[in-house]
Amino acid sequence: MKSRRNTWLKQAKQFGYWAENFFILALVSALIFLSVAQIILRNIFSWSFSWGDGLIRLLVLWLALAAAIAASRDDKMIAIDLLSRVLPGRWKNFVTFLTNLFAGVVTGLLAFFSWTFVEDSRVFGDTLLGGWPAWVCQIILPFGFAVISYRYWLFAVKKILDLD
Amino acid sequence: MIFTAPILVLLALLGAPLFTVIAASAILGFYSSGVDLSVVAIEFFGLAEMPILVAIPLFTLAGFLLSESNAPGRVVRLSQAVLGWVPGGLSIISLAVCALFTAFTGASGVTIIALGALLFPALIKAGYDERFSLGLVTTSGSLGLLFAPSLPLILYGVVAGVSVDSLFLAGLLPGTLMVILLSAYSLWCNRGTHIPFRQVSTREIFSVIRESAWELPLPVFVLGGIYSGYFAVSEAAAVTALYVIIVEIFILREISLRELPRIVRDSMVLVGGIMMILGVSLASTNYMIDSGVPEKLFAFVNTYATGYVSFLFALLFFLLVLGAVLDIFSAIVLVVPLILPVAAQYNMHPVHLGIVFLAAMGLGYLTPPVGISLFIASYRFERSIAEIYLSTLPFFLLLLCSVLIITFWPWLSLFLLN
Repeated sequence: MKSRRNTWLKQAKQFGYWAENFFILALVSALIFLSVAQIILRNIFSWSFSWGDGLIRLLVLWLALAAAIAASRDDKMIAIDLLSRVLPGRWKNFVTFLTNLFAGVVTGLLAFFSWTFVEDSRVFGDTLLGGWPAWVCQIILPFGFAVISYRYWLFAVKKILDLD
Repeated sequence: MIFTAPILVLLALLGAPLFTVIAASAILGFYSSGVDLSVVAIEFFGLAEMPILVAIPLFTLAGFLLSESNAPGRVVRLSQAVLGWVPGGLSIISLAVCALFTAFTGASGVTIIALGALLFPALIKAGYDERFSLGLVTTSGSLGLLFAPSLPLILYGVVAGVSVDSLFLAGLLPGTLMVILLSAYSLWCNRGTHIPFRQVSTREIFSVIRESAWELPLPVFVLGGIYSGYFAVSEAAAVTALYVIIVEIFILREISLRELPRIVRDSMVLVGGIMMILGVSLASTNYMIDSGVPEKLFAFVNTYATGYVSFLFALLFFLLVLGAVLDIFSAIVLVVPLILPVAAQYNMHPVHLGIVFLAAMGLGYLTPPVGISLFIASYRFERSIAEIYLSTLPFFLLLLCSVLIITFWPWLSLFLLN
């Protein structure tokens, strides 16, 4: 039973990794394609998509969040990490638990505040890119922060149960 | 806030992701002033209102792809063939090539990994002293920060609201000064050593030029395009990324399509880290400016620094300490909004401040405890941190001299702007 659950978890993990890579690759490709298309259109046809530059900026935001999700999985977020290097082993585990718990709480709050921001913008009927509902463009914020938060909670729980 | 600030600093020092610490300070700050907290998300969404930001992921991707291909080897072979006959040429080549490469890869230690591994054995083989070579290769990881299209320059432009084009121009002379000073030292250091001249045939030169034919136009059209004003920085980034993908994957086929997702992911992980810090700091900076932190900082600085010169000394000291504990991207995002208004009170040009800031922070790559170049070189060349540190010391002192010159001689940074 346990091994079946482990295989299932492993598959879910692999799927998550694959989905992240696919999402990032798709966003980067779209970004390059659209940016180059705008340059060509502007220089050769003296015309470009009016929503093009706005969409490029939104793609950068989406890419930032998708990349941050990947960075949190790889535990490669920028950190100072000055004191924990000199701490003795026993303390190290506790400190990692504490910093991950802190990161989990803060990113959870960020997800919640982003959700209220998106909800407000939906209720007020804000639009972006010439008519698109703004909340569709903003939804990546609560989603991204929620996934990152989940990841830090997972790190914290793993640390306290000493699963690593 | 008085009680929470030390706790947040402690959490940062213990290794909590920096963006969560900054976000927490913004949340607490706005909470204490009774502002609705969705403002943090609104400020973060400000990332989607900065057209220049697109340059960050695209240049980073291009740099990562270049360093994963055989381009570093080709660049070294080409420079050796063209300049190898100059006495002491290889050390100068190493410095120049590393500066160019760092400018393209965003100064993330990639230079030491990609080029150091080629240059270090080449220097030893050519008869250079081992400690000298180790110091040279490690130091060159932080050269090039001031040349276009380096990521820290772009980020400074974004955060300080200064035109990135003028920063690219301003960095040219100070960056060249650093390369020249280190080159002169390298020549002087090896004046007694007999390093055989390398005979190069015209045929060899032609063959390496043909080999690098695809990469050669890259610096020309990227730098030429940006400096001539033909391309906007974000456009240059898009064209560079597309060009590098086409050349390395489809024409030279040095990177397989199968490897592409991994390389894209690795490069974007760095971008994600930078963007998170930038996004949350949009909120924290806004709070700090609203609550008058820059004014308080100015009043504090003013009690110690009475004039421009003493302010510059204080600034430099502060930046060197900062560079030793904080990576360059976080430092730009966190500190620039606070010191920019203070420097303005002393009539310091924001572009000059940017060049001083980056030049000083570049030294941080070579100073313990967090000097990233020291760690990467120690890992890459399998030497102790202490050994690496000692070997970089003369180079570090020279760079320190150049930082002093750059700080106290604004003409160097501002001449090309006029």
